[in-house]
Amino acid sequence: MGFLITTLIFLVVGIIASLCVRICFSRGPSTNLLHLTLVITATICCWMMWAIVYIAQMNPLIVPILSETE
Amino acid sequence: MGESRGGGCCPPMDLMRSETMQLVQLIVPMESAHLTVSYLGDLGLVQFKDLNSEKSPFQRTYAAQIKRCGEMARKIRFFKDQMSKAEVLPKELLEKESDIDLDDVEVKLGELEAELVEINANNDKLQRSYNELMEYKLVLQKAGEFFSSAHRSATAQQREIESEDSQQAGDDLLESPLLQEEKSVDSSKQVKLGFLTGLVPREKSMVFERILFRATRGNIFIRQTVIEEPVIDPSSGEKAEKNVFIVFYSGERAKSKILKICEAFGANRYPFSEDLGKQAQMITEVSGRLSELKTTIDAGLGHRNVLLQTIGDKFELWNLKVRKEKAIYHTLNMLSLDVTKKCLVAEGWSPVFASNEIQDALQRAAVDSNSQVGSIFQVLRTKESPPTYFRTNKFTSAIQEIVDAYGVAKYQEANPGVFTIVTFPFLFAVMFGDWGHGICILLATMYLILREKKLASQKLGDIMEMAFGGRYVILMMSLFSIYTGLIYNEFFSIPYPLFAPSAYDCRDASCSEATTIGLIKVRDTYPFGLDPVWHGTRSELPFLNSLKMKMSILLGVSQMNLGIIMSYFNARFFKSSVNIWFQFIPQMIFLNSLFGYLSVLIIIKWCTGSQADLYHVMIYMFLSPTDELGENQLFPHQKTVQLVLLFLALVSVPCMLLPKPFILKKQHEARHQGQSYAPLDETDESLHVETTGGSHGHEEFEFSEIFVHQLIHTIEFVLGAVSNTASYLRLWALSLAHSELSSVFYEKVLLLAWGYNNVFILIIGILVFIFATVGVLLVMETLSAFLHALRLHWVEFQNKFYEGDGYKFAPFTFIFTANEDE
Repeated sequence: MGFLITTLIFLVVGIIASLCVRICFSRGPSTNLLHLTLVITATICCWMMWAIVYIAQMNPLIVPILSETE
Repeated sequence: MGESRGGGCCPPMDLMRSETMQLVQLIVPMESAHLTVSYLGDLGLVQFKDLNSEKSPFQRTYAAQIKRCGEMARKIRFFKDQMSKAEVLPKELLEKESDIDLDDVEVKLGELEAELVEINANNDKLQRSYNELMEYKLVLQKAGEFFSSAHRSATAQQREIESEDSQQAGDDLLESPLLQEEKSVDSSKQVKLGFLTGLVPREKSMVFERILFRATRGNIFIRQTVIEEPVIDPSSGEKAEKNVFIVFYSGERAKSKILKICEAFGANRYPFSEDLGKQAQMITEVSGRLSELKTTIDAGLGHRNVLLQTIGDKFELWNLKVRKEKAIYHTLNMLSLDVTKKCLVAEGWSPVFASNEIQDALQRAAVDSNSQVGSIFQVLRTKESPPTYFRTNKFTSAIQEIVDAYGVAKYQEANPGVFTIVTFPFLFAVMFGDWGHGICILLATMYLILREKKLASQKLGDIMEMAFGGRYVILMMSLFSIYTGLIYNEFFSIPYPLFAPSAYDCRDASCSEATTIGLIKVRDTYPFGLDPVWHGTRSELPFLNSLKMKMSILLGVSQMNLGIIMSYFNARFFKSSVNIWFQFIPQMIFLNSLFGYLSVLIIIKWCTGSQADLYHVMIYMFLSPTDELGENQLFPHQKTVQLVLLFLALVSVPCMLLPKPFILKKQHEARHQGQSYAPLDETDESLHVETTGGSHGHEEFEFSEIFVHQLIHTIEFVLGAVSNTASYLRLWALSLAHSELSSVFYEKVLLLAWGYNNVFILIIGILVFIFATVGVLLVMETLSAFLHALRLHWVEFQNKFYEGDGYKFAPFTFIFTANEDE
C-alpha cells in the first residue's frame, strides 16, 4: 500500500515538474521535447532508486542485530 | 550520406542529432573578398574547406600578406616582452573600439620598434659605462688602502731601522717595502718595477694567482683584497663576487704575459697612479661622473617607460587587429582563384538554419566594399560526410564535451549526451550518496555559479578552469547526491529517522535478544530510503551489500537496455531495417532473457521474501536446465520459463551473426545491378546473375570483411553482456567505500575526540575531521566516482549503439583562445 501511494506521489511530482519546466522555459517545440525527456528521465531514475530500496526492505531475510555497546 | 537520410520517424528533439549541414559554395568578387571573410568570421557559422591544399604555403595568393602580418605579430611580441620586463600592464580592451586600418598599424609598429630598440641600445651602453666606473671606483679605494697601509708600515719599519745601528741598515734595506725602495733607489738600477690593478672574479682568483706565479717564474708580487658586496660585471650585466688585485712585475715580457693572462681570466684592469694626490683627484672625478651617469640613465629609463605606456594603451587593440587579419588571410588562402572571372570561389560546410544569415553577411559585404557585383551563394550536393554540430548552451556544453572526449558523433547519429545529462550525475550520486557531503559540494558549486560573470573574464589556473567549466555538471551531481544521501540515510555517515520511526523494534519488552538474534519488523516499511536502525549493527554489511549489489544489477540492466533502444532509434532514422530485425531484436532478446530475467527474479525474491539462492538459480539454468528447482522455486512453471528463455538466448546469437552479411551483400548487388547493364527489360534471370564482388561502382564490398566485422560485433555483445553487467557492480563497491570511509572518520576521529572531554583535543579532532572529510571524501571520492561514472557511460552504455567516428564542426571565427599565438 505504501509502495503504491509513494509511486503515485513520484508520478505527480514528475508531472508537476514537467509542467513547471514547460511554463518557465518554453523555447520552441524541439527544445521543449528535450526538457521533457530530461525531466522524465530524472523522475524515472529517482523513482527506480527509491523503489528498489523500498521493495528490498519489505520482506527482509536479514534482521538488524545490534552491536554490544548500545 | 545525402541519400539515406532519415527523419520524420519521431518528432525532432534538440541535441539528439547533429544539426543538418550543407555544403555551400560562395562566389565572391575580388574587391569584396576581404570584407566577406571578415563578416563571415564575425558570424562564426561557416567551416571553410581548403581548396588549395596541394599548393605549398609560398605558392598561395596571399602569402605576402601573411608574411606582413607575421612581421607585425613579431613586433607585437617584442613589445609584450619589453612591457613585461618593465612591468607595464597593457590596457584592457573595451567592448567597442573604433576600427583601425592595418597599414596605419604597420607604420606605427615600425616606428615604435625602431625607437624602442634605440633607447634600449643607448641604455645598455650607459649602463655598461656606469658599471665600469663603479668597478674603477672600487679599485681606487682598495688599491689606495693597500698603498696607504704599505706606506704606513714602510714608515714604521723605517723608523725601526733607523733606531738600530747602521750596520744592519744595508741588509734591512732589502726587506723594506717597495715604496721605500723605489724612493731611495736611483734610476741606475736596471730593473723597472711596474704594477697593474684590476678586478678578478672571486672563484677564479686562486687559479689566477697561481698561473701568474708560474708564468712569470715567481718574479711577481700579487696582493688581493676581497670586496664584500657583489659587483655588477660590465660585460655580462650580472652581479658577481670579485676581488681587487694588484700585481707588481718587472720587465716588458712579464708585463705582456700578465696582460694576456688578465684577458683570459676576464679580469678588468684599470689605471692607477701611486701619487696620493692624484688618487684623491681620480676618486672625486669618478664619483662626479658616476652621479652624472646615474641621472642620465634614470632619465633614459623614464623616457622608455613613457614610451611603453603609450604602447600599452593601444596594445590589445593592435594585437587583436593583427590576429584577426592573419586569420582572414589564412582563410582567403583557402579559396580558389577563378582567374577568368576575377573572383574567388569558396566551399564550406554550414548549418542549414544559417543560410539566411550567411546571405545577409554576403550582401552587407558587397554593399560595404562598393562592389558592382554581388556574391553568389549556392548549395552543393555531395556524398561526403558532413561535420557534426550541436547547438549547446552553457548548461549542456560541458556534458557534450565529455561525450565528445570519447568520440565525436557520426553525422546525425543519436547523441548519448541527451541522456547523459541526467544519468551521469545520477550514477555519480549512487556511488557518492551522502546528503551532508552533497550539501558541501552544492555550496561550493553555487559559489562558482553565482560569480560566473566575474570568474569567466579572469584567467584561472588549470584545475580551477576545469572545475569552473563543469560547474553545471557538478551542480547536478550535488543535487542528485543529496537525493541519494537521503535514500541511503547518511549525513556524514549518521542516519536520521526523518520520515517515520524505524520499522524495527525489539522482540519483547526486555530487549534481551537484540544483540544475538536481533530485532524484528513491527511497523510498516520505512517509507523513504534505508531504515535508520541499520547503521552500526552487526548485520549491516550483509544486508547493505546484498541490497546495493542487486541495485547495481537493476540499474545496469536498465541503462544497457536504454542503450540498445537508442540503437533502434538510430536504425529507424537511417531507415536500415536489417539493423532492426537482425541486430536490435536479437540483442534485446539475448540481454533480457538472461539479465532481464535475473532482474525480474531479484524483484520477485524481494516481493515474496523467498529464500531462494539466485546464484544457484542462474548457474543451474545453464548447467542443468531440466533439473527440479526444489526450494529455489520463486514462481510456478519456473522451469518451463527458464527453458524457453535459454532457448531464445541460444537462438538469438546466430540471428545476430549470420543473416546481416548476406542481406547486405544482396542489397549491394541489387543496387549495382542497374549500373552494370544498359536499361533493358529486366527479366528474373538478370537478378540472379553474380557480380564479381562489387567491383563496379565506387563502393567496395568485401564480403569477408563484412562477415568478420559482424562476427566481432556479435562476440563483443555476447561476452560483453556478462562483463558489462558485472562492471556495474562498481556502483556497489564505490558506495560501500564512501560510506565506510565516512563512518571511520566520524567514529574514530570525531567521537574519539569527544570522548576525552578536553576542549583542546576536541578542537584538534574537529580540525582533523574537517581536513580528512574535505581532502579524502569531498575531493578524492568525488574524482573517483566521477571517473567511474564516466567509464560506465563511455563503455557500458555507449558500446551498445554509439559509433563516434565523426568530426567536429570547426567554424571560422574570431573568438581566439588566450594562448593562441598563430
